[in-house]
Amino acid sequence: MSDDRQETAVASCPFQSIGREYAAFEHEPMYAFFSRVRPLAPIFYSDEIGYWVVTRRVDALTALRDHERFSAEIATQPVQPWPQQITGYLKQRNFTNEAVQVACDPPRHTRIRQIAARFLNVRQFSLYEEQFRQLVNSYLDRIEGQDEADLVDAIFYEFPAQVVFLLLGEDGFDPRKIKQWGDLRLNMIWGKPSDAELEAGARDLADFWDYTVNLVEERKKKPGNDYPSFLLEKRAGDDSVLTENEIKSLVFGLLLAGHETTTNAAGNITLELLRHPKQWRRIVADPALIPNAVEEGLRFASSVVTWRRTAKEDVIVAGQEIPKGSKILIALGSANRDESHFDEPEEFDVERDNPRDHLSFGNGTHACLGAPLARLELRILLEELTRRFPNMTLVPDQEIEWTKTISFRGPDKLRVRLHG
Amino acid sequence: MIALKFILTDGSQKVVEATEGHSLMEVAIAQAVPGIIAECGGSMACVTCLVRFDPFMAERLGAPDHMEDEMLDFAAAERTENSRLSCQIKVCSWKHGATITVPATQI
Ligand code: HEM
Repeated sequence: MSDDRQETAVASCPFQSIGREYAAFEHEPMYAFFSRVRPLAPIFYSDEIGYWVVTRRVDALTALRDHERFSAEIATQPVQPWPQQITGYLKQRNFTNEAVQVACDPPRHTRIRQIAARFLNVRQFSLYEEQFRQLVNSYLDRIEGQDEADLVDAIFYEFPAQVVFLLLGEDGFDPRKIKQWGDLRLNMIWGKPSDAELEAGARDLADFWDYTVNLVEERKKKPGNDYPSFLLEKRAGDDSVLTENEIKSLVFGLLLAGHETTTNAAGNITLELLRHPKQWRRIVADPALIPNAVEEGLRFASSVVTWRRTAKEDVIVAGQEIPKGSKILIALGSANRDESHFDEPEEFDVERDNPRDHLSFGNGTHACLGAPLARLELRILLEELTRRFPNMTLVPDQEIEWTKTISFRGPDKLRVRLHG
Repeated sequence: MIALKFILTDGSQKVVEATEGHSLMEVAIAQAVPGIIAECGGSMACVTCLVRFDPFMAERLGAPDHMEDEMLDFAAAERTENSRLSCQIKVCSWKHGATITVPATQI
């Protein structure tokens, strides 16, 4: 792609002023912004980040499903490119993580997904249900006697990470390490990190990679009933099936994919339920509504609000010509409130009839492999929270601070009065 | 016009008219057949569009290809001899009259 072609396309974009209003890293005004913009502009260009932003559900679906014309390789690249010393440092630390799933295209993606899906699937996940429930209750036991708690700190942050470690065959993983490795990782890729944050983040990333490498080496010697052992067994020493580095990258990627996404989803859903106490009371009275409430929470307040693709050829998206190589930001959060698909989209209703049509887990060949796991975790969390703390309320007048990245959205803290 | 009969989870029936060329999943979604979810939109990634064919039709359809065969094992619903992923079945005239059962759960 030549630069002037991109320029021409941008200059002819009818929604340029809208693009300037889009605050890609801010989450507070996001939904209000999109509800105003969506009827006017199905797509606009954001100079701040250099992406075309797709706002409607139908166009989001088209781009997500068409892997021939839209590449996913950009999915995990830093929004703000890393300076040389960071990439140099990672290289020197033998950080050889490679794109194996969410950020690679077919046929490579298909080969790997076919294998991963034999472990990451609804059947396999259901085997863990009792273990997850015990884990949730062990967290809730610790705060039972308190009047107030920050649910993010008390349970939502650690629980999904412990779940991933269970899949990796690690029981009761050191929570301090979870925090240390998790703190900067998303910010490095999807945020606007400072140099100091980048340096610290790169160190944590490399440390976590070392952990992954060791874990896989250990499972080689002593296989168990876990994901790395499963992948090694499928590989059976054959690089054309999976290489060892691909296995390490799959294991490394699982925590990235399954931790904060789910932490934030738990925070978002619980926050909305408590902001709408009538809805909370409905699920307390009728826990059978919880699976639908989880879907409505994912729709109304997704923890992944945007996802990325690039155009592999000149394409037309939402009526706009977009040259080959252009970067596209699919606003999943906006698609989830598209008035042409959801009645009264700005209402949060745990009994809505089609919440599951949300795009929070993406769609098409990359559709989230952990979706049934995230759903299971969120269901158990709500079942146990409503059972043990039916009168729970929000601590009034708390300011919610959101994570500062273009894709991930969730409250940093969620302070509640456990017994009302 | 090709008529397809879906047996729903509550035992009731729904007959839908389909046109050639679409997948069975697409027809079911377009006509809002309850119990067909198809979360991934037909890329054989989610296993939420499982159906069971009547034995006669299942036989005519032949065996699923390798990838579908693998994925069928991971459905939420128990796999039976006649289970298939509806996103992999093309609607065509000889499928007229097929009886297709939707499983109790896809998720
Ligand atoms: C509520 C929580 C979660 C949300 C909102 C979420 C969202 C997403 C999204 C948007 C994608 C990309 C889809 C696309 O490109 O079309 C994705 C992919 C993926 N997710 Fe999740 N996810 C969640 C939890 C999890 C969990 C718990 C795991 C596993 C432990 C997981 C594993 C994956 C994997 C492996 C992929 C890559 C699939 C592929 O490229 O083939 N996710 N997820």
